Amino acid sequence: MSGAALLELHDIGISFGGLRAVDALSFAVDEGQIKGLIGPNGAGKTTVFNMVTGVYRPTDGRIRFAGEDITGRSPHRVAARGIMRTFQTIRLFAGMTVLENVLAGQHLRTRQTWWQSLLATPGQRREEAELVERTLATLERLDLADVANEVATALPYGMQRRVELARTLVADPKLLILDEPAAGLNDMESSALNDTIRGIRDAGVTVLLVEHDMNVVMNVTDSIVVINFGRKIAEGTPGEIQTHPAVVEAYLGQDDDEEVAT
Amino acid sequence: MAAAAAGRGGRLALARRALGPLMWVAGLAVPIVLASSWVSILAIFAIYAVVALSQDIVLGRAGMYDMGHAVYFGVGAYVTAILNTRFHWPIFATWPVAIVVAAVIGVALSAPIVKLRGDYLLVATIGFNIIFVLAMSNDVFGLTGGPDGIFGVGVPHVLSLALSSQGALFYLDWLVLALVLLIMRNLERSRVGRVFRYLKEDELAATTLGVDARYYKILAFAIGAGLAGAAGTLFAVQLASVSPGSFVFTESVTLFAIVLVGGQASIPGVLLGTALMFVVPQVFRGLAQYRYFAFGIAMILVMVLRPQGIWPRRRSGP
Repeated sequence: MSGAALLELHDIGISFGGLRAVDALSFAVDEGQIKGLIGPNGAGKTTVFNMVTGVYRPTDGRIRFAGEDITGRSPHRVAARGIMRTFQTIRLFAGMTVLENVLAGQHLRTRQTWWQSLLATPGQRREEAELVERTLATLERLDLADVANEVATALPYGMQRRVELARTLVADPKLLILDEPAAGLNDMESSALNDTIRGIRDAGVTVLLVEHDMNVVMNVTDSIVVINFGRKIAEGTPGEIQTHPAVVEAYLGQDDDEEVAT
Repeated sequence: MAAAAAGRGGRLALARRALGPLMWVAGLAVPIVLASSWVSILAIFAIYAVVALSQDIVLGRAGMYDMGHAVYFGVGAYVTAILNTRFHWPIFATWPVAIVVAAVIGVALSAPIVKLRGDYLLVATIGFNIIFVLAMSNDVFGLTGGPDGIFGVGVPHVLSLALSSQGALFYLDWLVLALVLLIMRNLERSRVGRVFRYLKEDELAATTLGVDARYYKILAFAIGAGLAGAAGTLFAVQLASVSPGSFVFTESVTLFAIVLVGGQASIPGVLLGTALMFVVPQVFRGLAQYRYFAFGIAMILVMVLRPQGIWPRRRSGP
């Protein structure tokens, strides 16, 4: 099921002022895997994502992706290597249509130069038509074709999540990082999400996800890393994690009403 | 019945599509029909419309608070005036130089500041404007003529034909406006135009999708400055002179206000804003101070009651 390591974190750490948000964290995501990253609130999960995607620069440690050191690279360079992400709070381009939003995911594939953009050369128009066609095909796949020309931020919440997902998928990422994709979804939408995530993996995309919804985490992941206070406390298959004493303690001792197992 | 309605709808759509080109054709008659004072007002409208549209690229589309845009307009005007009066270059030969110099200055000035947050960037651009006017007034290169500026800018020639009449300049200015409108329309359906809007709406999301924010922000300044420089050449020709007073900070404020009052990233909005801020005051010259009072009130009312502008951008797909 899983191949060689696609993403490797070696002893990464970051401090904000005096606070050590992530400390000496190491784990790997294998190619073709769905990896979960869980932990109590404030454990540093989103911070890890922000370091991988270049939004934060780790104070120490190295991050390797597809055999290449990407530590501290700026977000657009990380994206160009094939890492795409969604956000915990949806970040769509306000006032733009679903189509325009998802077209953004094609940015790296687009070849037209700035002057071709200004002059609308025949080659540029052809490319625009291809981009729109490709984008519509992705919208079709995610059941969003009907709303292609609607303003994205005016759609229901669950749909906005799918638009954000479509925007990353249209870029054909090697690694897709999902930051709480089930947040705000109802039960039906969240079980549909399970199928969507598996479908993405089956299409050849490696997935790393942070999720609070244990129904999603335990059902779709191949392997889970648990962190607390910025440190790894456990790693293993969903079955192993559910009974791991350190994990049970972290969640129960945290006075968190979240259940580890379902 | 339905077929008839569809036919009528089709004719209506056709009529609406034909309206634009018809108005442009009707515009050809302006210098023949209207009094010469009107012809020059409409010519100046076309020049300021180009500058306002170029401001809209930076402010309304890419979302950067550039309050020194008159600098690039001034650079274009001064380049043409200097090359024409001191070095006797034909006007049309000075034009590409004016555009390129304005664009290069746009790149040079914006490169260190594009990473600043909106309000800080705004203050920095005001600084550029003040320094530019000071430099021109103090004749720093011995070329700019000091506070009085440069007189005796020549007329453009097409082969041996001199475009010396108000009517000829009117055609030239409107031809340029038409080309800039085409560029703006192309921008709407292009990667560059979309990226500008992505950066305006959510820079972080855009960069995680692979957008090099710094490159595109500087590009917005370069394109905006280049087009403003092109308008600068026309302005120098129209007035046959240039002086620092045409490019002061308050001119930049007016351009900024045109985009906000008219409607950000809205071509009709920016054109309407230009007409309100530059043409109407010309028409009501007799009313002296009162027109500024009326404009101040109007600007406040629009921002309070209609913050998206008088003619906001239509929210539809490409």
